[in-house]
Amino acid sequence: MFSIVPYAGQHSGHGWPVPADGYSAEAAQESMERALAQFELADQLGFDWVTVAEHHYSAASLTPNPMVMAAAVAQRVKHAKIALLGSNIPIQNPVRVAEEFAMLDTLSGGRLIAGMLRGTSNEYATYGVNPAESRERFMEALELIVRAWTEPQPFGWLGRYYEYRTISIWPRPVQTPHPPIFMSISSPEAAEFAAAKRISGGLAVTTLDRARESVRVYREAAGAHGWEPAPEQLLYRIAVHVAESDALAREDWAPFAGAHGHAGGLRLSTGNPAADEAAARAGYYGRDTPRQRSRLHAGGDIDERIESAQLMLGSPETVLGQVDRLRGELGVGILELIFIAPRPDAARRSLELFGTRVLPRMREL
Amino acid sequence: MTFVERAVEADGFEIRYLEAGEGPPLVALHGAGGLRLTRAHELLAAAHRVIAFEVPGFGSSPVNERTQSLHELAHTMVQAVTALDIDRYSVWGQSFGGKLALWLAAEDSDRLDTLVLSSPAALIIDPGPLPPPEQMPSVLFAHPERQPSAAPLQHEIDAKQRALVGRLIGPPRDPELEEAMGALEVPTLVLFGTEDRLTPPELGRIYRELLPQCHFVIVYDAAHAIYADRPEAFAAIVADFLERRAEFVMRRESGLLYP
Repeated sequence: MFSIVPYAGQHSGHGWPVPADGYSAEAAQESMERALAQFELADQLGFDWVTVAEHHYSAASLTPNPMVMAAAVAQRVKHAKIALLGSNIPIQNPVRVAEEFAMLDTLSGGRLIAGMLRGTSNEYATYGVNPAESRERFMEALELIVRAWTEPQPFGWLGRYYEYRTISIWPRPVQTPHPPIFMSISSPEAAEFAAAKRISGGLAVTTLDRARESVRVYREAAGAHGWEPAPEQLLYRIAVHVAESDALAREDWAPFAGAHGHAGGLRLSTGNPAADEAAARAGYYGRDTPRQRSRLHAGGDIDERIESAQLMLGSPETVLGQVDRLRGELGVGILELIFIAPRPDAARRSLELFGTRVLPRMREL
Repeated sequence: MTFVERAVEADGFEIRYLEAGEGPPLVALHGAGGLRLTRAHELLAAAHRVIAFEVPGFGSSPVNERTQSLHELAHTMVQAVTALDIDRYSVWGQSFGGKLALWLAAEDSDRLDTLVLSSPAALIIDPGPLPPPEQMPSVLFAHPERQPSAAPLQHEIDAKQRALVGRLIGPPRDPELEEAMGALEVPTLVLFGTEDRLTPPELGRIYRELLPQCHFVIVYDAAHAIYADRPEAFAAIVADFLERRAEFVMRRESGLLYP
């Protein structure tokens, strides 16, 4: 179960960055508490993972540092794994990322899933990192983080983007040789890199057709490197809403029907067209730019969203069928679910219904 | 930076060397492939007197059947340094030259300022046979296509060098050498490349454990010939280490953006 930890109060901005006028500290506290309670409930219902993410300067997400949120989650969630998807490593200090991940793995007793992402294009404006260097920074930082976790002796790092004369992190990760790593495999460059490094692949903010192509590139590249990704090495993030019946679920979701894009209208890279255009021109999206950028503008009515696997919606029975279809189509072993509903009580009910009436049967599929 | 070719008589050998630059002397000992100048040599010569020896038995020098061990060869190289009237100096050894440099350091530690070992072949966990010449570029370089084209080594020279290296390289773990390493108080920089399949970077930790004053650096996106894959980065860190030794862990450059 994934929560972006959206701000529960009212705000004025539809662009990015979102101004903080009218900001309510109470609403922010309430948002975080609501997310923590949701994670806790998911854990009690037997979900395997809970997930937090990194986004900056936006009411869409109150976890600019997902490490901090994950530390809080680790106190409330007792059994589920705690995933971070991600840390946006190209805009961070990679040694700091390695340290924080190792802390979280220690605090959670080895339950960390260490996602490493490039983030959305707008993140590059956050700390002033050139998006043209995003992919190269990503590749180098990832390798450095793994070294920092696994190298028993102090070492220096002479990189292209990073240089450290001496590194020896404490604490060390609990999991050996290190926590599982997930990265996005949406773009062909990313899919090929993940395949070469045997890193598990994640797909989010995408559609079935696009995901099929990403998985194809990933599997083919993995084959060329002599391995085959297992189902539990493939993750698909999708919005979900379950109600007692299909009709009730549709009624609940009606207010979102016209919303732009994914998850009822996140405005991150799409919230700053100039920044996104600059990033695109700098080569941020890579050799598959039109398809990668088009992911952000998917959407459609409820049926189109269900058909294109942006949304699972309906009764437990219906949603189970949608889960089955997705697993059959893509071979994904991990579904990362965003419970989205117009009202908190509906979202909570949806989570309970999924946990009690879909999840147990998913395990039998 | 232009290197000049000279030769020196030492220990009964005529030893060819290439020299450039002014400053504290840096003696360079090449790998199993023989002496070849690179951009890293030139960059290092900006602040050092670089003396790149051709070890007796390599390149165009006569077949060397006299030297029986690396220890003995190190003794010869120390005499070559002395014959050049050098008092204090530093040594950079690459791969095979790294093992030779360790023997040299053990022999001449009193005169040595610093020791730099790039992809040293002194401790090899799983010594496979050296790949054939045509496969060497893909083993030496992470990006062979970026390397300046070089004429392949003549067959006789290649065979001669391989025979000599095979005869002198010694055991994968040499207790005598490791004991000497344990007593070596010279500040040492050990570098391994992330893409090195001959001497993978995991070896670095053993040098850290054995050498009392060892700094271990992993060079990203470099294979066995770090100095050729990442010449600017390599020369910069080596020059900084030669100058500042253990203090090189502290950054000196200002982070100030605007006054």
